[in-house]
Amino acid sequence: MGTTGGTIAPDHILQDMANLWVTLGKQGEGDAGVLRACSMTLVVAAEESDDAQGIGETLAALMPEHPSRAIVIRFRAEEQRSLAARVFAQCWMPFGQRKQICCEQIEITASDASVADLAPVVLPLTVPDLPVILWCRSPRLFHLPGFSALAAIAQKAVLDSASFTDSAAALKDMSEAAAAGRLIADLSWTRLTRWRELIAQIFENRAQLANLPLVSDILISHRGTATPATAYYLAAWLTEGLAKVGAHPRIEFRSDGGEPVWRLSLVEMRAQGRTDAIASIALTEGAAAEVRAGDLVNKALLPALNDYALMRGELSIPGRDAVFENALAAAAKLALS
Amino acid sequence: MPLENPFQDPLRFERRVPECAMVIFGANGDLTKRKLLPALYRLAYERRLDAGFAVLGISRTAMSDDQFREKMLASVKEFLEDSPFDADVWAAFSQGLFYMAGDFDNAAVYPALDARLKEIDASRHTGGNVLFYLSAQPSQYIPIAQGVAAANVGKGAGWRRIVIEKPFGHDLASAQKLSAELHSAFQESEVYRIDHYLGKETVQNILALRFGNGIFEPLWNRRYVNHVQITAAESIGVEGRGAYYQEAGALRDMIQNHLSQVMATIAMEPSATFRPDAVRDERSKLLRSIRVMKPDEVLQNTVSGQYGPAHIGGEDVPGFRQEQGVKADAQTDTYAAVTFFVDNWRWAGVPFYLRSGKRLPKRVTEIAIQFNSAPLEIFNGDETTTAPNLLILRIQPEEGISLKFLSKRPGAGMKLRPVSMDFNYGSSFGERSPSAYETLLLDAIIGDATLYTRQDMVEASWAVVDAVQHVWNETKFDFPNYAAGTWGPQAADDMLARRGHVWRQP
Repeated sequence: MGTTGGTIAPDHILQDMANLWVTLGKQGEGDAGVLRACSMTLVVAAEESDDAQGIGETLAALMPEHPSRAIVIRFRAEEQRSLAARVFAQCWMPFGQRKQICCEQIEITASDASVADLAPVVLPLTVPDLPVILWCRSPRLFHLPGFSALAAIAQKAVLDSASFTDSAAALKDMSEAAAAGRLIADLSWTRLTRWRELIAQIFENRAQLANLPLVSDILISHRGTATPATAYYLAAWLTEGLAKVGAHPRIEFRSDGGEPVWRLSLVEMRAQGRTDAIASIALTEGAAAEVRAGDLVNKALLPALNDYALMRGELSIPGRDAVFENALAAAAKLALS
Repeated sequence: MPLENPFQDPLRFERRVPECAMVIFGANGDLTKRKLLPALYRLAYERRLDAGFAVLGISRTAMSDDQFREKMLASVKEFLEDSPFDADVWAAFSQGLFYMAGDFDNAAVYPALDARLKEIDASRHTGGNVLFYLSAQPSQYIPIAQGVAAANVGKGAGWRRIVIEKPFGHDLASAQKLSAELHSAFQESEVYRIDHYLGKETVQNILALRFGNGIFEPLWNRRYVNHVQITAAESIGVEGRGAYYQEAGALRDMIQNHLSQVMATIAMEPSATFRPDAVRDERSKLLRSIRVMKPDEVLQNTVSGQYGPAHIGGEDVPGFRQEQGVKADAQTDTYAAVTFFVDNWRWAGVPFYLRSGKRLPKRVTEIAIQFNSAPLEIFNGDETTTAPNLLILRIQPEEGISLKFLSKRPGAGMKLRPVSMDFNYGSSFGERSPSAYETLLLDAIIGDATLYTRQDMVEASWAVVDAVQHVWNETKFDFPNYAAGTWGPQAADDMLARRGHVWRQP
């Protein structure tokens, strides 16, 4: 079902959605019908050139765990004002069940010039009483004049500093937005969760914990030539944690080249005068990582996470994340120093 | 030395797991192979265990560490169910697997065990923390606990905990004796009595449903709830365990422990906090509030059953008495149904019907809470327009929650039909639920006893069940009284019919 032309009316879209559910209900009759599921409104802002199929697949994968009304806005770099919309449903059949579960999806195409018209369209389309999350997939959109009104509808905006060309500038922008009270999430931080959890787990052991105040040097190796935001985040988070136990280590970033540019390959914590590392995590082959804690060596899997896995993590945290906010402020300071 | 790990992030990380060594008594047994090692491997795969986590298996069979690792590898591969196997993760995890042969009745085993644990602690940095898991015959619980205590096995800088599997005695007196003897070696706070039903996600979800939502609690009492049915049905028979089962029976094997605990979770008062002892105090209070039947009330409020032979799906299925190892005149209950009442203000007069049986039509465990019908029937319809609201909590096989209510049929006229609002655990969260053993093992390592049963809870449920069992022991039942593949004896239907109720067909 769709609405085309230069303008779109939210009432028409809502009517289209109501009709959609009637149609789905009729299709399901005789079987067990359909179940409508919704736990949030997810607004996706993407470039028209962005991989539409990929976004669709990511949303479809997210729906079983985070059923939502998805509003996908695809921006066209065009000076003429134009908007178009269509609605459809994402349905899936849970294993062993007879009833389909469906979520509604609205796709809006908008020119850059129409960005100021979007907020009044999107606002009535959000589901009452449920959180609104904005996933901005392009740094260009984040800087469009008028985009802030759209962003203001959402309780939380999810960005990916890895898609910015200058990670230091990205961290600065996000840190300023967070300081102004906006709830921001960065997928570069989400990529670090497994790394951070492995490090935290190493120091759950009291024998290892005793070594923490001795840490004098931290080495973080990464792919790509420029230091990525993930490296700044990890360094900032480690520095903050170590400061609590009285350690103030030197940080060294090292590039070992290769792709993807944001991927970390090694983190190593050393103490002055000791030949072996206190702790280290090193990517080996593929997704495997070697975790060393003193003389203990373990293996863990650290796969590169796709959009689905990253968003799944972020959508689980609709509220404020104090650890991230501290790390963001410290990482921005570190990147700009 | 820092007291706290500064890198914790509870919002994004899983629960904190301390370093420890786990000693499995009966490491060559079925439970270890089918449940414990697959659950531990899965925890390692999910990076939930400390890097130095170690398992020291002990049983009579002579084996080297490497042979034990090989054996466990085969078991993990066979019983991992819905999880992937990763050779690298196994390689690292298996470095922490150790084995020693020993007879649990031999006192010399325990100093040797202590020495081995010290070696492991030195190489794996397990912090002196030891979790003893008794995957052994119940008759060996006391010799093991006393052997461990006498040799001070694992006693040092860290904590010691002991996990035991059911049965926790075979009646109240034996349960009390078991606890008293365990207490000569371990304090009650160190004893973890495992009931894997409580580790199931949906059983835990009962607490979330009841105490995380504001809309259910006002309805959760005698004013709105008509009655509660708790069903644990198995489609299989005794599967070669006839000799064991003959001594146990459904009442002791299921109702005394699993179903009583589920009932306590359904009916307990809200605890002030979610601390282990606060939750267990409330469960215990509820179990102590279940009315103990007088002898002359037992046969009116309970049903004992035993399956007979049948022809199911083109196959001849033996009756219980035809199973291997079972006496031809066995009086064992392969089916038990009971009506319990809770003597407190919330539940006075509300029947709780519990039933469990083998060779029933399908494998299902569920709780059905039936609410009172609307006080006035204004729609002039048939029986469907007065169908009561039902809240169904499915524990297995498809964990989930359904609420049944009436809705108007589309079209002219005011015709109603029951509809169901479903929440399916698997489809709504899209991720694999941890197995009950993963949850409970992790809880024991962390020291969270919320889902473990305590001495007073075990004794309270034995007190209730003993009253029934004593009368049953004195009664000669006319067995078999239900055919395999049916929903149990007619007497069970009659028991509910006396109060105007019918069993729900799951």
